[in-house]
Amino acid sequence: MRGYEYFKPKTIEEAIKLMGSIEGAQYIAGGTDVMVMLRQKKIAPRCMISLRNISDLSYIDTNDGLRIGSAATHSAIEENEYIKRRYCALNDATTHLGSRQIRNVATIGGNICNAAPSADTACPLLVLDARAIIVGPKGSRELALDDFFLGPGKTALEKGEIVKEFVMPRFDESTGSAYIKHTRRQAMDLPILGIAARITISVKSGSEVRCKDMFCTIDSISNILSRLKEEGMRCVDARIAMGVVAPRPIRAKKAEAALTGKIISPELFEEIGDIAAGEAQPRDSIRGEAWYRREMIRVLVKRALIKSIDRVIRPDEAIYPERLW
Amino acid sequence: MNNLTIVGKKIPKRDAPLKATGSAVYIQDLKIPGMLHGKILYSKYPHARITGLDTSMAEKLPGVRAVVTASDMPANFRIGVMKDNPPLKTGKVLSIRDEIAAVAAISPEIAEEALSLIKVEYEELPGTFDPLEAMKEGAPLIHEEAKSNILKMPWKLVCGDVEAAKKESAFIVEDTFSTPWVTHCCLGTSGCVAQLDAKNNLTLYSNTQIPSLAQNDYIEALNAFGLKGKRVRIVQSVIGGAFGSKLDTYAYEYIAILLALKTRKPVKIVFSREEEFFATSPRQCTITKISHGCDKEGRLTFREMEMVLDNGAYTSWGATTPSVMMLPISSLYKVPNVKYVAKCVYTNNTYSQAMRGYGNPQATFAIESSLDQLAEKAGIDPYELRLKNANEPGEITPQRFKITSCGMKECIDEVVKRLDWKGKKGKGGNRGVGMASLIHVGGGARVYKSDGCGTIIKMDDFGKVDVFTGASDIGQGSETIIAQIVAEVLGIPIDDVNVINNDTDICPWDVGVHASRTTFVAGNAALGAAKKIKAQILEIAAKLLEEEPASLDIKNGVVFSVKNSEKTIPLGKALRKLHYTLGGNMLMAEYFYDPANENFDKEFKGNLSVSYAYGAHGVEVEVDRETGKVKILNYIAAHDVGKAINPMLLEGQIYGGGLMGLGYALGEKMIYEKGYLKNGNFLDYKMPTVKDIPPVQAVIVETDEKDGPFGAKGIGEPGLVPTAPAIANAIYDAVGVRIKDLPITPEKVLAALREKEGQTHK
Ligand SMILES: Cc1cc2nc3c(=O)[nH]c(=O)nc-3n(C[C@H](O)[C@H](O)[C@H](O)COP(=O)(O)OP(=O)(O)OC[C@H]3O[C@@H](n4cnc5c(N)ncnc54)[C@H](O)[C@@H]3O)c2cc1C
Repeated sequence: MRGYEYFKPKTIEEAIKLMGSIEGAQYIAGGTDVMVMLRQKKIAPRCMISLRNISDLSYIDTNDGLRIGSAATHSAIEENEYIKRRYCALNDATTHLGSRQIRNVATIGGNICNAAPSADTACPLLVLDARAIIVGPKGSRELALDDFFLGPGKTALEKGEIVKEFVMPRFDESTGSAYIKHTRRQAMDLPILGIAARITISVKSGSEVRCKDMFCTIDSISNILSRLKEEGMRCVDARIAMGVVAPRPIRAKKAEAALTGKIISPELFEEIGDIAAGEAQPRDSIRGEAWYRREMIRVLVKRALIKSIDRVIRPDEAIYPERLW
Repeated sequence: MNNLTIVGKKIPKRDAPLKATGSAVYIQDLKIPGMLHGKILYSKYPHARITGLDTSMAEKLPGVRAVVTASDMPANFRIGVMKDNPPLKTGKVLSIRDEIAAVAAISPEIAEEALSLIKVEYEELPGTFDPLEAMKEGAPLIHEEAKSNILKMPWKLVCGDVEAAKKESAFIVEDTFSTPWVTHCCLGTSGCVAQLDAKNNLTLYSNTQIPSLAQNDYIEALNAFGLKGKRVRIVQSVIGGAFGSKLDTYAYEYIAILLALKTRKPVKIVFSREEEFFATSPRQCTITKISHGCDKEGRLTFREMEMVLDNGAYTSWGATTPSVMMLPISSLYKVPNVKYVAKCVYTNNTYSQAMRGYGNPQATFAIESSLDQLAEKAGIDPYELRLKNANEPGEITPQRFKITSCGMKECIDEVVKRLDWKGKKGKGGNRGVGMASLIHVGGGARVYKSDGCGTIIKMDDFGKVDVFTGASDIGQGSETIIAQIVAEVLGIPIDDVNVINNDTDICPWDVGVHASRTTFVAGNAALGAAKKIKAQILEIAAKLLEEEPASLDIKNGVVFSVKNSEKTIPLGKALRKLHYTLGGNMLMAEYFYDPANENFDKEFKGNLSVSYAYGAHGVEVEVDRETGKVKILNYIAAHDVGKAINPMLLEGQIYGGGLMGLGYALGEKMIYEKGYLKNGNFLDYKMPTVKDIPPVQAVIVETDEKDGPFGAKGIGEPGLVPTAPAIANAIYDAVGVRIKDLPITPEKVLAALREKEGQTHK
């Protein structure tokens, strides 16, 4: 490992200026991806520009929707009570990322900018309609996250650009979300498959969902869905995102379209799972076989959706009923 | 025995504070003045001819002190059990871990850079990676001088008449099971520092688990270098786990010695995590054909097993694991007729080594899975089948093991009770229960001509003792156990016992940490030495107190008369009187314990151990039918340990073993594709994490082994032996699919479920 210079700018502008003036420089936030790449000799920067000393880059602002500074750590996000209730998918991802030690230093900005197909916060941010606010030598711009990822390790960032924050809209009480990370281990593992969902629902003439209690039984998903159908629950809006099934985290847009506006039913959910599986191009690797990944898309899309619905109708038990989903 | 004050108590491991605070000195931490750093260049291909080797660029790099290749090693110098492994290879490379060259430099970074400057030209050769292919007539030979790829180490055990028993059996099952390579995952990676003095006497700082035997290996190596009659001293640093991985000496150690000879400086070689994965020797993978039979009542009639082991390109102790596999094969449950044949086959894969259980887990996976199949065929509850055939005290098994204490039935009963077996077996709902038992050596194992261990005890001026033991502490806690035994016998506080166990210059001889033998053998040696020195102390105190030695005893470091409680003398005072007297003396005692066990005879029969350890594990699982994931709801691990000298450490062994077994059952596998390791890192090698630990109940069954120190038997290895089959059996109970190939991944479970439902999965 060769030595490198280390800079600790105090402002974004200073960081961008440094980047422009030094050949072969590399931004570093928590360093949990950068240091690994360095050891694997995938990168050999002459200089590192740390983003950790920039004040005002690690905030979590919940005043109007959600704004998360790119240097916010996964631990900070995981512990935020508002995110826990209203942006469950993101909470799901941050609580299952790496280990406590990793989450204490690793940042959301690093996770997204590293652009691994398996990045855990990517699918949640996709379904939560996040936009990246980017600052660079030519000024600032805004990009929908769906336009941010270009391929494995490739983003729309141009030379010297820094992601300042991620901005998400406000979702009302009829919206729930979830992220399911399918792994072999309970910690320190990358997903074989990651599925995020967000759904906004409406029930006939504003009445309460009567089959609420079914959600805390061991009743099968299809039974619950049948009851929801009887009660006329409708999907008003939906997002589905999938990780590790393509060169970048992707949205299952056909599945989203097929779900939107429909009355929820077991048949519909089966169909949505199939459509989503059809939108993926999973591959065989030592981490998982393609056929298995495709099968799991069918299963986990269903589970992520019903988990999201669960969170709408039982918000007070929001974080994790002991169920398979 | 009844009034024990230190033995039988939960006493924390002595080295725990050192390790928890980071002040323990591991081989990684060790620095010796003038020390250089060595790095090894490995082969790029699993099978190739080296057509060119140019080290000149590396030699020129500033900071490089030596570059060595095969031509620097004594010709014909080979290491390993079959002496088939040259520490540096020339001509042909046979696996990706083949060492071709090595560098010593003033820093690890420079050494690393120098490696990249060594030019090797290869002519790639087609490899042989499947042992079944390698066994075939006409298969390319891995070692050309050998006539066949099948190792000349034929394993065959025949007891009774299997063919006749088959004819008389009411029920017979037959199947094939397989297990993967798994690795020890020691947190402390391999390493050593080799240092030679002006007269070429060698000191090797090492984390070996066989100091006395390693000493012998290095003396042989020095002889090969033409350095006859030299002394070898082994100093062990704190060992960050071994689990069998450090039971042999390895190429990197001989390379460090060679580099030290060349440079006249101490040379350190420490493995990176990547090297630890691909360049150390894993547990061997096996393919096992088994058939089992019983009569109408469910009494076992025979067991027949045939096994193929991938030996890899060279031979270490892994090739001898069939000797321990014979233990469960012949003697787990009462089975009168047994036949077992095993073949180790050379391939271009990695070569294997001892790992906790030494073959027993592979054999027990096949036996205990097959036993459940037999129970189903015979229409008997698997628990009843086990109980009916369980081993008992006083039994002599077909392999001529003399069973002394045996708590197998108690262990099975504990599992059944605590798991609510009868309430839960066969109840469906995707939940199920399963169990499996184990037998292992528990009173040493005579695999060498000796199974001995020496202990020396000396007393200081203050009544404190130094205990010099041959036994190494590789993390299992033997230092604490030995201190407890000595303190108990001498009637002194445990903190007054200092254990020295890491230097062959001062510690007595021992055959090493293996076969779960240390508490039993080293414990007995410490017990013997402590008793001897106690007798000497009482003799001296008797004179000072004007009493008979027989009426004296020691408590809290004070000698007292049992008849007259007024008569006391603190140990320190008695010793000072002894030292500061004209014509005085000192107190020291030594004891060598070698258990009365037997080597196997030519037919692999004989009483290998003076006692045997038993246990049974039971598990309740829930299977997710849609994903194939298996969740452990409850885990019972009952072990007959004779006597728990330290229940805290003992439970630690059971938890640790159980967790290692869990990894073996559900996740761990070294993925080799055409000779290359594909998952040599902790991300893709699925060792369980702390969050994967299920609720485990360790149940200690005490049977008071007559030959054990305070009644104890071994427990180091048993904890992981029955885990995999217990889980496989529980999965079968839950969803009716039997996975016969470890690890039991969600993919395999889901595919099996689909197949059962008549669907294809792809
Ligand atoms: C043991 C371990 C376990 C892990 N487990 C997981 C896991 O379970 N799931 C998962 O998704 N990941 C995991 N990771 C990967 C890693 O921790 C995450 O991707 C993490 O969020 C990266 O954040 P960081 O701050 O450390 O990024 P860094 O390593 O500092 O940076 C990563 C990349 O992003 C760039 N970058 C960082 N911030 C910005 C910014 N504001 N603007 C522009 N570019 C920027 C850097 O230049 C670099 O290219 C794990 C890593 C380790 C070492």
